[in-house]
Amino acid sequence: MCVYDLQFSNKCMIETRLGEFEEVILIFVGILGEQAYAFKLAEEFESQTDRSVSIGAVHSTLTRLEGKGFLTSAMGESTAERGGRRKRIYTITAYGRKTLKESRDFKIALWNQYPELATLKLKIV
Amino acid sequence: MSARKIIPPPLAKQLLLRFLRDDLAEEVEGDLDERFLATSKSKSLIRAKLNYWYEVIHYIRPFAIRKSKNNHLTNYAMFENYFKIGWRSLTKQKMYSIIKVGGFAIGIAACLLIALFIKDELSYDKYPDADRIYRIVEVWDYKGDKGKGVWFQAPFANAIKEDYPEIEMAGRYNSSELFGAGSKQIRPADKAENTYEEGFVFMDQELVQMLNLPMIYGNPAHCLDEPNTIVITKRKAEKYFPNENPVGKLMILNNDPKPYKIGGVIENFPTNTHLQFDFLITLKGDIFWKGEETSWCCTNYPTYIKLRAGADAALLEKKLLKVVNKYLLPVWIKDGAADPTGLSKATSFKLQPISDIHLKSEGISDPVQHGDIRFVWLFGAVAGFILIIACINFVNLSTAKSANRAKEVGLRKTVGSNRSNIINQFLTESLLYSFLSFIIGILLAWALLPYFNLLAAKAIVFPWKEWSLFPLLIGAAVIVGLLAGVYPAFYLSSFMPVQVLKGNVSKGSKSSITRSSLVVFQFTTSIILIIATFVIYRQVEYILNKKIGFDKDQVLLIQGTNTLEKNVTAFKNELLKLSQIKSASVSDYLPIRGTKRNGNGFFIEGRSTVDKSVSGQIWKIDHDYIKTMGMKLVEGRSFSPEMLTDSSAIIINQKMVKELGLKDPIGKRIQNWQVYTIVGVVEDFHFESLRDKIEPLAFVLGDQASIVSVKVNSKEMASVIQSIAAVWKTFSPNQPIRYTFLDESFARMYDDVQRMGRIFTTFAILAIIVACLGLFALSAFMVEQRGKEISIRLVLGASLNSIFNLLTLNFLKLVFISIIIAIPIAWYMMHKWLEDFTYRTEITWDVFVLAGIMAVLIALFTISYQSIKAALANPVNSLKSE
Repeated sequence: MCVYDLQFSNKCMIETRLGEFEEVILIFVGILGEQAYAFKLAEEFESQTDRSVSIGAVHSTLTRLEGKGFLTSAMGESTAERGGRRKRIYTITAYGRKTLKESRDFKIALWNQYPELATLKLKIV
Repeated sequence: MSARKIIPPPLAKQLLLRFLRDDLAEEVEGDLDERFLATSKSKSLIRAKLNYWYEVIHYIRPFAIRKSKNNHLTNYAMFENYFKIGWRSLTKQKMYSIIKVGGFAIGIAACLLIALFIKDELSYDKYPDADRIYRIVEVWDYKGDKGKGVWFQAPFANAIKEDYPEIEMAGRYNSSELFGAGSKQIRPADKAENTYEEGFVFMDQELVQMLNLPMIYGNPAHCLDEPNTIVITKRKAEKYFPNENPVGKLMILNNDPKPYKIGGVIENFPTNTHLQFDFLITLKGDIFWKGEETSWCCTNYPTYIKLRAGADAALLEKKLLKVVNKYLLPVWIKDGAADPTGLSKATSFKLQPISDIHLKSEGISDPVQHGDIRFVWLFGAVAGFILIIACINFVNLSTAKSANRAKEVGLRKTVGSNRSNIINQFLTESLLYSFLSFIIGILLAWALLPYFNLLAAKAIVFPWKEWSLFPLLIGAAVIVGLLAGVYPAFYLSSFMPVQVLKGNVSKGSKSSITRSSLVVFQFTTSIILIIATFVIYRQVEYILNKKIGFDKDQVLLIQGTNTLEKNVTAFKNELLKLSQIKSASVSDYLPIRGTKRNGNGFFIEGRSTVDKSVSGQIWKIDHDYIKTMGMKLVEGRSFSPEMLTDSSAIIINQKMVKELGLKDPIGKRIQNWQVYTIVGVVEDFHFESLRDKIEPLAFVLGDQASIVSVKVNSKEMASVIQSIAAVWKTFSPNQPIRYTFLDESFARMYDDVQRMGRIFTTFAILAIIVACLGLFALSAFMVEQRGKEISIRLVLGASLNSIFNLLTLNFLKLVFISIIIAIPIAWYMMHKWLEDFTYRTEITWDVFVLAGIMAVLIALFTISYQSIKAALANPVNSLKSE
């Protein structure tokens, strides 16, 4: 399910499919809201999935998602633990939310076709 | 643990900042610090630090790495600018530039010449299929009697070819003077006058085919397969039969009534092959004695084989061991050798690839001239050193002059150059110098090649047409340029703009330790070369003046007298009537290389089945030989015409007495195949190179006719030669007289040593010139730097002397250090070299003193020009500017 960015159709070379890791990070950005910056996202990812990840990997994914138009970012406030350095806060865009929703709907639609599980009436929503 | 210490590892942070994009620095550093702090609280400080490293390394991703800012357009413009500035600074300081480029060019020229020499040495014997052609080497090691030789019995080649199917061809030659190879008188059958020629050899048809000698006329498969046929080279064919096909024509050798038919004409042997002949005479037929082709007694033939494609040489070597038992052992047993089975076990064969013969024949006794792989290494090392010295000069001068460029670097940095730009600039400049030097160096090498050929006795041509030459040279220019430029580039680019522009630059003195050690290296190398040259010349002197056991002075050798046939004795007697002639002797065996030799085994009479033979030379001489050669009899008497029994008398040398273990030799009887009575013992004399020990030797009476030696009484050689020539004319009107001097022939045996001496002198001088150029420029620089100081000293009343000392002492110290380092190295190297000679000169301390004094004088001379100039300058000139 390839979603093409119509606004930048001349740049449709940009890969707009969501990878698994990308999707998870995108959801975490939504969950964390005001606190969505690379370090927090990495921590959150680690504590919720029990998989270790480097900040660099998260950062690189965030940059990629921003490039695809799913995220925007801006420099936020600074704290003492950061030695007075500001953090970059990421916010999910409307387009990002739409893509996430489409991804979820598609999966539910698939799950519903799955013979044994369809009868269980999964309540994901 | 105090809270203050909880900081991320600084090294990791440095690394991060080095590669991270500047615009990401803030957020990333912040994130990592936060994680570091969190980890150090939840786990441990060490875990936190390790984790920090882990995080930093995981930031090495394309998105986070700093991009190079340069784009192609500005790059090109900058390089243009670098060239322009480089050229300007080159032309601005002419003296430095000349020294820099000139020294470099000399170094490159020297290197290039040596490289050509080495290439030539390595190019020997590249026959077609050379990888399948081998020379057979016999190796023996019988109770400490070790050796390697290349001579085999006449039937050997055919026997192994029949026994081992993997041998495709087998061929022999015989270049021994004993059988008439070497030199001969020759003429076409329809002419009367003989011409003396060298380069005769007896050779098998199959060897000609095996080596694929290119044929101009004749059939390569049948050029030598009939008795009395001969193959000549192109140059000889042109000499005797200009503009015609000489195949089938007849030639007369040494007035022999049986003519030789020309079977073919081959191309001249190229200079880079170990076989150098002009006349190949067939080995077909019983040419030396009846039954030789089946006799396993005597080894006279170097033997070559060509294997079939895919045959294993190492395997064949093992199989060849059977040859000993099959053919040699029966002969030894029949001849009653003392320990035939022991002897057979001690004998084995090696196959030496034909292209190894020139350089890797150390320890193998054979009849060909060859090079030495050690010389190739040595020359390579010398070339490397000269190049390093030249590079060092370059580095030295560049850093020394850095003060003059410091302001430029400061300004460039201020207007936005970063360090890599400055490095690029100076590397470009260095490449510019390097290319310039290479061009001059190549031209220099090309111009000097004829002289070098003379020096090294080679015939090398400059390989302009070789396709690999130019890419190779350009590659070398780039590599050398970069190597020589790296240090100055990094040094110069490290200047801080603020300090430099304020005028605080250390004026290049910062790196004085580096520069001093470079000067020390140069001088050490030069001094080693000086010492080596001295020792080599000492050894040459030693050889030429050593008491060699015979008197080589004022002896004239008249060659080619065999054409007089029976008249030789009459000729000799006629010569003796001349008042200037003290004595004359007829013998082909002379104590110089290249004359006849004949090796035999000797026993005390009747002990040939009990003892091991003593191998020694047996020379045929006449009654006057010992007198003419000025040899000394230590016991007994010389041969005498009055004693009719002297036909079975023998005179032996002291070495033979010792080897045979004789107590009171006079009157004792010894044998080879014939029994002789010892009538005299001659003092040991050198008849081979002084590299080797004197071997056992014996004289017997015999008719030998090719060389008449004449001892001359008078100092006026020219008139003597005239009178001898007049006598010759009466005996042989059709043939010009040919003569040499014994002392000259003796000296020629050591041509290689003398040549090496000359080559070393040349390169020592080159190394010294290059080193001096460097020192000269450095001292000039030093004077320039300290100009104001010197002027102030002069104003305050310093004497010329004290200024001179001030400027020279520093450099002299370095030279002294070099002397101290050079002496042990040189001593060790030359000690090793001299070990090659059994008879050698001592390395005495005065060699070192002399070399040291020379180095100091050269250095002093080089520096003093600048120092005196500075001390004599008018102080006002340099002080008025401030």
